[in-house]
Amino acid sequence: MSYVGFKKVGKVFPGGIRVVDQFNLEISEGEFVSFLGPSGCGKTTSLRMLAGLEKNTEGVISIAGDIVSDPERHIFVPPEKRRVGMVFQSYAVWPHMNVFENVAYPLKMANRPKDEIRDRVLKMLAVVEMQGLEERKPSQLSGGQQQRVALARGLVMQPRVLLLDEPLSNLDAKLREKMRRDIRQIQQQLKLTVVYVTHDQIEATTMSDRIVIMRGGKLIQVGTPTEIKAKPADDFVADFIR
Amino acid sequence: MNRFQQKCRQLLSGQSIILVLAAVLLFALCVVPFIELFLKIIFSGVDGEFSLEPYRHAFARHSALIAVGNTLVLSTLVTLLSLILAVPLAWLLSRTDLLGAKRWRSWLSIPFAIPPFIGAIAWIFLANPSTGLLNKIFGGSFFNIYSFSGLVFVESSFLYAFVLMTALSSFDRIDSSLEEAARLSGAPPWRVFCDVSLPLLRPALSGAALLVFLATAASFGVPALIGSPARIYLMTTQIYMFQKMGSISGLLRAGALSTCLMAVAFVVLTLVQYLTRKQSLQTVGGKTARPSLIELGKYRHFAFGGVTLFWIITFILPVLGIFVSSVSHVQGDLQWSNLTGQTWIRTLLQNEETGRAFLNSFILAGSAATGAVLLSILVGYIQVKTRLPGRGLLGSMASLPYATPGTVLAFAMILSFSGSFLGILPSLYNTLALIALAYLIKYLSFAMNTAKDAYAQIDDVLAEAARVSGANWTRTMLTIWLPLLAPALAAGWFLVFMPALSELTMTILLTGPGLETIGTTIYQLQEYSDAGGGGASVLSLVVVILVVTINLLVKWISRGRYGL
Repeated sequence: MSYVGFKKVGKVFPGGIRVVDQFNLEISEGEFVSFLGPSGCGKTTSLRMLAGLEKNTEGVISIAGDIVSDPERHIFVPPEKRRVGMVFQSYAVWPHMNVFENVAYPLKMANRPKDEIRDRVLKMLAVVEMQGLEERKPSQLSGGQQQRVALARGLVMQPRVLLLDEPLSNLDAKLREKMRRDIRQIQQQLKLTVVYVTHDQIEATTMSDRIVIMRGGKLIQVGTPTEIKAKPADDFVADFIR
Repeated sequence: MNRFQQKCRQLLSGQSIILVLAAVLLFALCVVPFIELFLKIIFSGVDGEFSLEPYRHAFARHSALIAVGNTLVLSTLVTLLSLILAVPLAWLLSRTDLLGAKRWRSWLSIPFAIPPFIGAIAWIFLANPSTGLLNKIFGGSFFNIYSFSGLVFVESSFLYAFVLMTALSSFDRIDSSLEEAARLSGAPPWRVFCDVSLPLLRPALSGAALLVFLATAASFGVPALIGSPARIYLMTTQIYMFQKMGSISGLLRAGALSTCLMAVAFVVLTLVQYLTRKQSLQTVGGKTARPSLIELGKYRHFAFGGVTLFWIITFILPVLGIFVSSVSHVQGDLQWSNLTGQTWIRTLLQNEETGRAFLNSFILAGSAATGAVLLSILVGYIQVKTRLPGRGLLGSMASLPYATPGTVLAFAMILSFSGSFLGILPSLYNTLALIALAYLIKYLSFAMNTAKDAYAQIDDVLAEAARVSGANWTRTMLTIWLPLLAPALAAGWFLVFMPALSELTMTILLTGPGLETIGTTIYQLQEYSDAGGGGASVLSLVVVILVVTINLLVKWISRGRYGL
């Protein structure tokens, strides 16, 4: 039984432009899967459909056995009810809240008691190595630190799946390398199911259990990094993964 | 020595002479009149002695104090109502799948460009207690426009548009992933709005709210047409009454009250400055996906109906009102037999004053716009393309008159220019030149902002290439900068021309025999010569049509950058 499932998922914009077509994928619990492809290939749209930020117009999306979207049966679970964590490319750390308030927000929305919130936020800040910075405002943080706050916020409510949308593209090369290792380590430590969107083949190959290569809204090839490197489906994949 | 000579030659080049002259002119026009106003009021004693007599006189009767109180209460209420109307509207227009959201954006912004006194004329026709159309249809005392709530309503139905435009542009600038992150954290849309959108919008909204407060305090037309008949006087209308007394002491009282109004404006603007400084919220780089729109679902029709109703009440109904009024023989009678074209013929063709007013207004608005554009070409250059010290100050100088209530500005103009201005100009009192100058000064910042935007977008290397090719500064200006700036300058020209065309607040104080403008003629027709005759409605409708047409023109010229 798959943990996250896309069945014949497609998205057509009102104007008739198709951005995702016949997308089929099963992700198991605890797996780290990357969507890799050039910009405009539909990888971000697929991720946003999983989050509920976009509606798929065809097919079925399920998370942990629950169907979260099935347009044919008029099922659509809004993003706030999906228990999905997400880290955005621009971090989206709220500038009017300090670090603690940012990370505590999902727990506040879940109406957790104050003590529990405090406890879990501090624990999560420790996981992302941000202890002691609770009172800081985002404007006093570096890009890398904001990234960690976003990560902690995405993880604090124990999401069923963590989504990362090009999270490292705004960091410099050195920091990017460290974050790659840290994210992978946190994922294994917490046994997270992760979907990671990137256009950088190094990120995809070094972090993922499996890679999904996309182009023009279509899924081209799925496999472990070694499989794909050894047997690229076509010239496009070979060129992209090299 | 060689360096010194070089420096001297640099200072005496055509470039610096032209630029320095522009800066001096800006100072003389935008700052000196206010200093004059203040000095003349303060040193109004015998032989120019220091005296606070004008203030004592002005506030001797309670009416001036009541006017101050009314102004503050009205401005507060209009500000609150504008926020209550505009913020939810902005949210609907920018964050939901409301039907026709893009259309609504420009349609609901139009009131921003129409002078509110035209709304007052429309609503007097619709809701005056004796012959008001709505009162006739819905029975006796449906709504009496000659009341404080009438004032609040008419002012808000125009000024909400300013808050709306500010809120829309702020919504567009918020990185939508900030809101999406809240959704994914478990917050339903309304909580996202309260916890994330509203706090992020707050600095911009507070700024806009304060400016609405100021605009209400500074407005003249609506209070004069709706407030005065109900014996509700505001600072602006009180100043007008003092000035109409015609005596020196009346003039001084008007001046004293003007400086009080200026003080209100000053406090408000200081607050705005303070708030916008705090606004420097860090915006994080990175691509922003287009915001995923909130689906209104079953509320979609309800929301569409609400917005449509709002638009009908605030725009369609008044426009329809002045149209019906302009073709009615007897005001407030809705029978076919009452239909007439007489009012149009009488007002437009048989009234020589109307022709003169249009001619005057076009000349005034045209020359003000041309002067403002010329000045902003030079001052804009100083501000954007040079490192001259004090260039930031020029921007503040140019925006000072716009922020100043028109009544105060007009007053300062009268006091500064009725004698010989700085000993160089003949008296301009009772001339078209003074009115044109007032328009130029008041709306200069519109032209300035478009010029600055345009300069900032043109890379210096284009001009440097011309210099290297052998063109001096003046030639470069004429052959490189001006052609490249032309579209923005044209837009800036219209942005000054448009409000100047139907200006009333300043003109009413500066006008005299033979100096009729569209604004003052409408006011005269409505208040005196054609009261209850619909002539004011004819001209109002012409103004609305002109405003909408010019707006479309600006939008077309600037390819959608400016205009509503």
